[in-house]
Amino acid sequence: MPELPELNPVIHGKLRLALLSLLIGVEEAEFTWLRTKTGSTDGNLGAQLLKLEEAGYVAVEKKFVQRKPQTLYRMTEAGRLALTEYVQALKQLLGAAIGA
Amino acid sequence: MTDRITEIELKDRLSLIENMIAEGRRTTGSYSWTFILWGVAYCVAIAWSSWGFGWSMWTHSYLAWPVTMTVAFALTWVLAVRKSHKQPGTTAGRGIGAIWFAMGISMFVLLLSLGLSGRGDSQLFVAVIATMLGTANAASSMLLKWKQQFACAVVWWAAAVASCFGTVAQSTIALLVAIFFCQIVFGIYGMICEARLRKQQDGSNA
Repeated sequence: MPELPELNPVIHGKLRLALLSLLIGVEEAEFTWLRTKTGSTDGNLGAQLLKLEEAGYVAVEKKFVQRKPQTLYRMTEAGRLALTEYVQALKQLLGAAIGA
Repeated sequence: MTDRITEIELKDRLSLIENMIAEGRRTTGSYSWTFILWGVAYCVAIAWSSWGFGWSMWTHSYLAWPVTMTVAFALTWVLAVRKSHKQPGTTAGRGIGAIWFAMGISMFVLLLSLGLSGRGDSQLFVAVIATMLGTANAASSMLLKWKQQFACAVVWWAAAVASCFGTVAQSTIALLVAIFFCQIVFGIYGMICEARLRKQQDGSNA
């Protein structure tokens, strides 16, 4: 019987998973857009994005647009790969759970 | 029981991923207002170049198109930057922006050169404008899979053909008809569609 895969703990958190799934569909997204889509608070969102950044899954860019600060997040190649692997592992586990 | 919870959790995670990916892809900028803005700009340019305005400095019809188009371009740029900085960048959005930007620059350079060199007549101008707008509308419609916009492309191409074979008056009528349907009517229709989509998204986010 094949060994069941481990789920990546960095991605497994619901909000972090939602953030990576949102970012995979866009080139880059602003903090406020991510907050609206996830319905999260500023503090929680910032903390989870920092964890993703530390893991190398998202890259952050801070700039000023019309004198207003803007924080943009984009998914890195490592993040894309990690999410793909996570989905594959999830499907494998689900297959095993249904088959059991 | 543990297995049952795990299965539910796994399905929950998968559905979260699917929903969020769909949410990200559904993100579209609202750009239908640009069709109306440019439709109005074309009408101003046509009216100015045909009849001029009250003041003497405004009666130089050769200024009509370059000045109106430059003002419309600047307005579009400013409003688009203001509206788009809160929307995430998507590949499709960048592609569509590139098509319209490149088309705008090409049209500006060509029409200005034709006008200054005196090589173009009004029918040729209409044919060039209509063909280029047909191209940009067709490319956008294929990217967005939006049949209604492809219909606009067909109307523009028909106006270009009519301009080549018709009289000056028929050419002007063809241009005005195309502007009315493909800029004003299509712009209003696009804004209604965007408002509906926003309402739907707000409902699903609530």
